[in-house]
Amino acid sequence: MASRVLTDSRWIARGESRTSFSRFLLWLAPWTALLLVGIYAAFLCLYHGLNQTNMDNRFAFGLWIFLDLGIIALGAGAFFTGFLVYILKRVELKPILNTAVVVGFICYSGAVAILMIDVGQPLRAWFTFWHPNTHSMLTEVTFCISCYLLVLCLEYIPILLRNPQLRRLPSFLVFDHQLHRLIPVLAAVGAMLSFFHQGSLGGLYGVLRGRPFAFRSGILIWPSTFFLFILSAIASGPSFLMLVTAAVEKITGRKLVANEIFRRLALISGVLLGIYVAAKSIDTLIWLNITSPSEGFAPWQFYIHKPFGTPILFAEIVLFGLLPAFLLTFRATASRRGWLLCAAAMACAGVLLNRFVLTVQTLALPTLPFDDFLQYTPSWQEVASFAGVIAYGVIVYSLSYRYLPMFGSSKGEHADVSGN
Amino acid sequence: MSARYGMVIDLDRCIGCGSCMVACAAENNVPALQQATVRTGLTPIVVRTVSNGQEGAARRETFIPIMCMHCEHDTPCVKVCPQQAVEVDRATGIVMQMPQRCLGCRYCMTACPYHARYFNWWDPAWPAGMEKSLNPGIAVRMRGVVEKCNLCHARLHTAKEKAAAAAKREIDPTDYVPACVEACPTSAIHFGNLADANDPVAKESRSPEAFRLLARLGTEPKVYYKSKEAWVRDLAETNSAPRPEVKHG
Amino acid sequence: MFPGIDGFHWTFGHILFLLLFFAVALTIVAIVASAAWRTAQDFRNHHAIDLCWHTEFAQLPDSARRCRHELAGRVISRTCDNAFDCRHCSKYLQFAVLPPAGHLHLSGLDYPDDRYYHRGHTWVKPVEDGNVTVGLDELARHLVGTPDFCNLPKVGEELELNQTAWRMKKNGNEILVRTPIEGTVVAVGGPERDWYLKICPRFDLSEPVTLRHLLRGPEVSGWTNRELERLQEQLEAAHTPPALADGGVLLPDLMNVIPDADWESVLADTFLQL
Repeated sequence: MASRVLTDSRWIARGESRTSFSRFLLWLAPWTALLLVGIYAAFLCLYHGLNQTNMDNRFAFGLWIFLDLGIIALGAGAFFTGFLVYILKRVELKPILNTAVVVGFICYSGAVAILMIDVGQPLRAWFTFWHPNTHSMLTEVTFCISCYLLVLCLEYIPILLRNPQLRRLPSFLVFDHQLHRLIPVLAAVGAMLSFFHQGSLGGLYGVLRGRPFAFRSGILIWPSTFFLFILSAIASGPSFLMLVTAAVEKITGRKLVANEIFRRLALISGVLLGIYVAAKSIDTLIWLNITSPSEGFAPWQFYIHKPFGTPILFAEIVLFGLLPAFLLTFRATASRRGWLLCAAAMACAGVLLNRFVLTVQTLALPTLPFDDFLQYTPSWQEVASFAGVIAYGVIVYSLSYRYLPMFGSSKGEHADVSGN
Repeated sequence: MSARYGMVIDLDRCIGCGSCMVACAAENNVPALQQATVRTGLTPIVVRTVSNGQEGAARRETFIPIMCMHCEHDTPCVKVCPQQAVEVDRATGIVMQMPQRCLGCRYCMTACPYHARYFNWWDPAWPAGMEKSLNPGIAVRMRGVVEKCNLCHARLHTAKEKAAAAAKREIDPTDYVPACVEACPTSAIHFGNLADANDPVAKESRSPEAFRLLARLGTEPKVYYKSKEAWVRDLAETNSAPRPEVKHG
Repeated sequence: MFPGIDGFHWTFGHILFLLLFFAVALTIVAIVASAAWRTAQDFRNHHAIDLCWHTEFAQLPDSARRCRHELAGRVISRTCDNAFDCRHCSKYLQFAVLPPAGHLHLSGLDYPDDRYYHRGHTWVKPVEDGNVTVGLDELARHLVGTPDFCNLPKVGEELELNQTAWRMKKNGNEILVRTPIEGTVVAVGGPERDWYLKICPRFDLSEPVTLRHLLRGPEVSGWTNRELERLQEQLEAAHTPPALADGGVLLPDLMNVIPDADWESVLADTFLQL
């Protein structure tokens, strides 16, 4: 009996064809190796301390802050899709909801893991929950991320319980049913939390008066980057979902999601990206002409250090902003898979570039008049823990794809298509 | 009776000997680590060399000690710390870093425009025998937390205890002098209460030769610099001039 | 570090912020707790099995969820939205026509009219002592033949509708049979007898509603024809000789006759498993 239960095929939903177990293991092997290297690197950082990284007193945030901000922005597809499906009732997006939740879960848990490695005393992280500084953006980030990760776990559980073996246990099935009835509440809470923390991640740098390159004026307590981060995250989230889905379709050689859904996502992503580009342009103009000069910094001096010249600004706003916004919005390009994915990749690249500029370039630029432009190269431990998180994501996603219903209830869908 | 402790550093008198750095390290039990570099070592006060960027006969150089400026308004590091490990002491104006509350996120280091904050990248260690010379009044900071100059706060405590023992409300100003001030062989660093209009340091801070670094950010730093040389005073604000070259430490 | 210690002081901001945060955290925890509590409650009230069935029903393929009235040809197309429980179906009376009785003989399968049929291929037959006997219908018996192993419930055990009544094994395949009527097991039979269980029904058999959820008459023939069609389609996929030619007769002991068919799928579809 036990051996039957352990048979791999028993864990795959009936009617779903998956590659053989040995080929699946072969696929996982390199990722597992990468994950192990990442875990070793993380162990070094935790055991020996952050001297294992190449960060220093001036470059106090390194690769990890870029990674964190980047993958959290890309993971925004989870909350935004949940928001669209449950709150705005765009039920046509339901088939990709599960994959969005899993991608979001991977991104957020990965980000929290990296965060825990890259603070000096991770065991003291709970202090923030006990004596928070209410004026700090990081407090808002900590609160919202930890709560939202909890929400994502809860949204992941029902997907997990759809596994054909797990669902045999009646208590799981009933729990799943009861939890599912409350999921809209969770989605609402999750959406609120994520809107806030995407914003406060932007605020993280926007409030730094001592870093004129990042400092922005804003509304009430929130600098403009607060709103720009929300916009860019919800614009790139759907694009990233498209990329992930297309990659899975390519690897598995299966059609998983209807073209209609792709086009819908592209339209959402494109329109939001357009709004973001407009807002970002206005913000940049305000910063160049008002904020920065009023602080006594001529804006051109931020762009004299190669390779961070003005081309990077052009790339961020036009090449990876305006251009993909057009490509994603227009039917002519959005209906061609090649163009669509290219545009989605550009949109994601634009958001990643934005996070990179705001974190790494900000730190590299001098503030003191006699200070210098600094460079920093991440150590192998930093790169390896970065790669480890990616490997973790691939493994979790692969396992989820193999054993859980990731793209709607494909069984019902297929029956609909083939039966009628 | 709240004080606003501050400094005026006379750059014309600074000879760049580094006595202040050594005195500070000894006073505050800064670990003596072989591995530490210019960019990873703990230097709550650091003397930097700055030039006017010219070559040959026109070249001028000066030394400039950089430390926590104890910003008074909108203190950047206080605002960003997620768990209140940094506070401005209302009674003294000193920006207090509490390593026991710090989780080492280094957000404050990112926020500080003066780069006057330092992270403990390593476990504290001293060469054999040197631990006997540690200052018993100062707790050693653990790995993974941020620290910075606190104007030798422990000396203020000692001064207060002495005043209390003598049944006095106010401390004797001569009892509270930070280690760097004491150690400077040319008396370039002047320490005093800026809130006291009669304090010689407060008067000095208002002299036309005095300036503050990045005062335009509006954070009201309490460390002043002073120089008769105009190009040195320009250092405070100039950003658009041909950038002077920089030497660390 | 703790309030009151180490110079920590509360401000309005803290209280507001902590209140907000813990309100959110509590909401999340409350959602889990309430889901867990309701789960426990469901088990206590014996709702759990019903809920399981409802969840599983929702995930059955569309073709397995046809309304009995569609099977009988009274309506062109209707998907059951009540998990086959016609007793609580508001639409039932809209169509309700007493099914004409008659002994059915379909493709060599006997469907006597002295009993009621459940979609999980079991039947319920009222017997003289007020109890009912439960057995596998002809189609299921033709598939399984004699099971290698049969795990029947104990006498006295309470069974809920659609719960797994008993387990069988055949050629390494596990077969779970759903309960067609709720009640207490009063006697067990087995493959060697013509019934598997004798059940004392929970509800009064003289009330017509008690057995309303089970199929009769033209519903049975419509349903069986569809099931045979499905079976043939599934077995043809295995490149085997046809199990029944058009208008032919279903071979007995099919699992042994066609061992390399996709029995896992066939059995799951037959016994309404996922």
